[in-house]
Amino acid sequence: MAPNLRLNAVAFISPQNHPILIRTFMKQDETAIKYHYIAHTSLDVIEERVLASSKSSECYLGLLYSMEDVAVYGYITPLKVKIVLAAALTDAVARDVDINMASIKTLHMAYYSAISNPFLVLHDSSGAIHDTSRPLLAGSPKWKHLRRRVDEIARIVGNPSDTSTAAG
Amino acid sequence: MAGPKKSVIVSYSSTQSFLSSSSWTQILQTLNSQLPLRNIHWKSASRPSIRTIHELDVSLVNLDTIRDEHTSQIPTTLLERPLLNIYVITCENNDLEAYRATVKKQIKEWHATVTSRKNQEWLILHVVRADTRAQSGAFFTLKGSVLDKVRADFNTDKRERCVQLVWSAGTNNPAAWAEFLNKLRDGVLSAFESAVIQREEEVRRSEGQRQMPGWNFCTFFILKESLATSFEGMTLYDDALVVYEELEVSFYQVLKEKNLSWFGTLITPSPTDDSAPLLSISKKTYRELILANNISVFDFRIYVLSRQCELLANASRLTEVCKKVGVFLSAFGRRLREIESEIPPLFVESWIYSSALSAVDQCDTWGSKVDLDAKRPAFNAGKAELLELGRNQLDVLGIEKQYLPCKPPFSSALLVSRPENAQPKSTESISNPQLSTALKDQDTFYDLYILITNRAIDLYAKSGRRKFALKLHGSLAALDLHRGRLDNALTTYNSLPAHYAPHSWTSLESIMLSRALETHETAGKPKDREWIHVLLAFFKTYAESGGTELLIPRESKGVYISQLTRSLETAVSDLDSDLSYPDHPALKVQVSSVAILDESRDGSHLEVNVHNSLPCPISISEVSILLTGRDLERFRFTSATELLSPGTTNLKLFCPTPCHGSFLLDSSEIRMKRLLLQWSHRRTSHNKTPRHAAKGNNVLVRIPHDLLAFDVRLRQPPLVALGAPPSLLVVISTGRNEVLHASFSLSAPSVNFDCQGVTLSTSIAVYRSTTPDRISLQDLPADKEIELLIPHSDVSSFHSIKVSIEVDYTTALEPSITRSLRLTRVISTTLPVSVNVEDFFRGDKLFSKFIVSTLSHQHVRISNARLEPPDTESSGLKILACSSSKRGIITVTPAQAAQFLFQINSNGPVREALSLDITYRMLREEVEFVVEEAVERAILENPDWKLHRIPLARKLIQMLETDASWVEIYGISGELYIPGSPAPDDALREPIEVVKKMLQTHQHSDTPTGPWHDIKIPVDVPIMNIVAAAQIKLSTQRDTALYAGQPIPATLVVRSSFHWGTSSNDKERQYMMQYDVEEMVKEWLVSGKKRGTFVATDAGTFIVPLTLVALHHGEFKLPKVMINALPLANVVTMGSMAIPNTETYQVHGAEKVLISPRGGRSTFVLGMGST
Repeated sequence: MAPNLRLNAVAFISPQNHPILIRTFMKQDETAIKYHYIAHTSLDVIEERVLASSKSSECYLGLLYSMEDVAVYGYITPLKVKIVLAAALTDAVARDVDINMASIKTLHMAYYSAISNPFLVLHDSSGAIHDTSRPLLAGSPKWKHLRRRVDEIARIVGNPSDTSTAAG
Repeated sequence: MAGPKKSVIVSYSSTQSFLSSSSWTQILQTLNSQLPLRNIHWKSASRPSIRTIHELDVSLVNLDTIRDEHTSQIPTTLLERPLLNIYVITCENNDLEAYRATVKKQIKEWHATVTSRKNQEWLILHVVRADTRAQSGAFFTLKGSVLDKVRADFNTDKRERCVQLVWSAGTNNPAAWAEFLNKLRDGVLSAFESAVIQREEEVRRSEGQRQMPGWNFCTFFILKESLATSFEGMTLYDDALVVYEELEVSFYQVLKEKNLSWFGTLITPSPTDDSAPLLSISKKTYRELILANNISVFDFRIYVLSRQCELLANASRLTEVCKKVGVFLSAFGRRLREIESEIPPLFVESWIYSSALSAVDQCDTWGSKVDLDAKRPAFNAGKAELLELGRNQLDVLGIEKQYLPCKPPFSSALLVSRPENAQPKSTESISNPQLSTALKDQDTFYDLYILITNRAIDLYAKSGRRKFALKLHGSLAALDLHRGRLDNALTTYNSLPAHYAPHSWTSLESIMLSRALETHETAGKPKDREWIHVLLAFFKTYAESGGTELLIPRESKGVYISQLTRSLETAVSDLDSDLSYPDHPALKVQVSSVAILDESRDGSHLEVNVHNSLPCPISISEVSILLTGRDLERFRFTSATELLSPGTTNLKLFCPTPCHGSFLLDSSEIRMKRLLLQWSHRRTSHNKTPRHAAKGNNVLVRIPHDLLAFDVRLRQPPLVALGAPPSLLVVISTGRNEVLHASFSLSAPSVNFDCQGVTLSTSIAVYRSTTPDRISLQDLPADKEIELLIPHSDVSSFHSIKVSIEVDYTTALEPSITRSLRLTRVISTTLPVSVNVEDFFRGDKLFSKFIVSTLSHQHVRISNARLEPPDTESSGLKILACSSSKRGIITVTPAQAAQFLFQINSNGPVREALSLDITYRMLREEVEFVVEEAVERAILENPDWKLHRIPLARKLIQMLETDASWVEIYGISGELYIPGSPAPDDALREPIEVVKKMLQTHQHSDTPTGPWHDIKIPVDVPIMNIVAAAQIKLSTQRDTALYAGQPIPATLVVRSSFHWGTSSNDKERQYMMQYDVEEMVKEWLVSGKKRGTFVATDAGTFIVPLTLVALHHGEFKLPKVMINALPLANVVTMGSMAIPNTETYQVHGAEKVLISPRGGRSTFVLGMGST
């Protein structure tokens, strides 16, 4: 089993590259912007990866890049929703070990179940009428449930019951 | 330690004499020119796939020069020793004697030494001169060739180890070498493989002893590494990398077991460790350190990394080099930080910085050698990442030296938050000269910072990673801001949000905007339009994200925003002109779909919810919305409000103009001093996708009809006189208002209204002044209808005219408000009835029959129709109506027209037109009147219902409209049975029931009451020159029986009169006439002068005898007589003879003659079919 990671942030990005949800699990408010930047810049790398393997239907894009203490992983759903995970950098990352697919799948499912809510866009703001291509915005209160689930997933992923986490 | 050899060693040996001969030198030279070996396919038993070596260098060495002095215990590359030994023999091919005598012995000696060596192959090369071989041609040599002999003697196993080379000096034929090269290849490979297998076995054995005491990782490492070096020598870089990867795994395992006894400390930093080029493997004697068991983990890992990178670079996988270095620096940097106290201060930062930069340089050096076309962007991106990593170290160092503030974005690079008042760390130990100079001087530091950042930006841009570049631009702007280069910072910050906005990265956009605001503030620039735009954009991001994505501390958010709002308020009041901003999401206007009437005055209220998404109140001056109707009707609802507190504010907007109907919500507007926030609610179909068509519907607002409001209506005038200039009636009903002043103008396409010819048809005296296109009235009392008759130009070509009325009025109650109404009224110009006339001349009498029919589907009630003589009485005109005036009211339905007959007597022709006056009304009007009357009466009895007068009448009319069953009974008796019944909860239920009862007993009154319309139709009395009356008189006795076949004598009498002609009473006047008795060949046989001419005079008579014979029995009409005037002799009009008009009537037209059958026999023959 792949070693567990401590998730610093998770970002869901729409097929149109709009942020859907950016969730950071850091204590300080200040560092949040860093993860917003990471989510945003990851799009460039995801684009590169997708272009490079245009034919492959692989969803998991692997390590996108690492910067100092953060390793950024990407996942693109078949409907092009991008899930970006910013994990704390460990030697496991350095050894190019892939992250636990189960956690990504869980995140994907969380998004999937959130989007399956038929009442999700019913009371959309008037802004959405103006621009049909921005269905839901980051920080939209609609994602309350998704946010809660993502938090929970991050907590479980970050505090695994087994102790097989590799030491640096 | 020497770098690994890049080539495979192959030894050669022969007799001393041959080796020193010139021919060998030549052969060797040619052989070298055939090298390196190309396209070697190594099919190894232990590896699943075939490895291809594209090019392999081979160095040919004399066996004698190879010494076995390297008998060191340290395993080195497998390629250190020759893989293949070649022995060259030169004797003639068939010179077996020579072979036996000397050569065989020589080979034997050589063979013995060579085969004793492990993992080395041998090959015997028989060089034959091309010319000698041609001579010999020894096909049938029984003894066989030397080569065969050699084979038989030495090549005992299956593997072919003897090869012949046909050598001719001077020619260089590659084909000649092919076999030898193949052998060479095979030999090298098989030797290499066996060597590898052996070494791998050793490695495996060593690894298996891992748990045993005495096992040494370093020794193991060196052993296994030799494999990698060997692979590298064979250019099998991938296999070499695999070895290193496995080594790394082993290393981690060792780490995990915490068995670091083979290593020195984690790091024993030497003074220049932090700035040494990372990827150089020659900077330290790593292998020796490893062998000595005292390499530090730091050095060890750097060594492994550099070896891997070198291999990757050789394999042209430079992108991976960058990635690997980046990950390594980050990960190992983290490890180093754990023991921060043991290493010099800022060692890690300096090390990462120097290493990243040197790695980029090294990659560039490698990159210049290889062709990277497709991978270039990724390679650039990798280098840019390294540079950014280095730049991040500058962030940390800068904060440490307090050259940079400890806040985002600089502080994002800090891995642990810096304690508030940490002592600045010494930078003394930083050995990178560039870095240490930069850290001594602030400006140099900034220059370096900008340089590195720009390098990274440049590389990111080249690799197409725009978003990374944007992020770095943002940090440059932050640096500008910190350095006080505010203009630069402002420019960058103003341009950056545009890059984040399109994909609604509100969080980043808002950061940029708030920085721009901050910069603006710091620069002390005036808060101009630009500032307002930036601020509004910032509010927009706030509102769009609901404030949650704003990356500023939560508690200060509200304070920050309200501070901004306050400065916005002052800024907008200082503007010199209005500034409009469309579709700002911070405020949202929601309009209710039904307006409420203000019962006390004209106008209506509309409820509007304004949602303020900002966390602080906004002071505004006005909220207004605009409704549009047909034909440019615009109604503005406004409300002056001062404050919009956060959340939803419910406002009541008022529009003083009375209007009703459904209107489209066009736009809304919130005014904040000079700032206008506008929202368009109109959805045009072309800019939306069909998916949202249903959702984004236009908002309709219904405004109920205010029955007591000021209103202007158009009606047809009470009297329509055809032929006279048309006019229409403008009815101004003041409703509840005492109108101080009202002025209006009418307009309709291609119709001119003569406003100055207006006449007031109501008795209320109002002062009025008119201009050619406007009518003004003053002091109109409340609850009155003022009717104005306005003449206009001819509209007979239209069925109806659409009149736009513009009215301005002020009421006594609110003299300050001028209400402007723009109304469109349609008035029909056609009459509801059409009139046809038929004239019958009878001598000097004229009977006119008027047929009045309705033109629409509606019933028309006609109370009276009169034919009036012209005002100037002439020639004793007398008109008698045929029916009595007590005929009552006639109903004209589409199915049934009404007829009116008049007899006109006159002394002579009537030159002037008579006029037919019809008094009529539509059934609807009549019933409406009846209902209103009943309602009035009901109100007299119950004065409480006075308020309900108009709604009550309306309701009853509506009920009548639902069903037409009442029409018939009403037409006959006047009783009005209103169908349906009001809903039980209807407030008007009781009055409706009362009025209903009343109406059921209603009777048509004898004298028509209520409003009637009059039409005056001019009727010309036709001129008839000759009126002739023809009569066939039977001369028999009246009661004589007439039989068929019997001749009946008769006379034709024609009386003529010129009474209705132009030459009336002119006794001299004569006309030539022609008469013609109709042929009725079945009934009558006419004999006599059937056709002829005669002269007609006024009141003259012409008689001609005829005989009629009835052809069979029956009852017949008499034949008709046609009488025509012949053209006048001397009057010519229109180029032809004028014929005076004539009307003839048959006096006997209604007579019938009974013919009896004659007696006698009649024979009938009946056909009975064919048989």
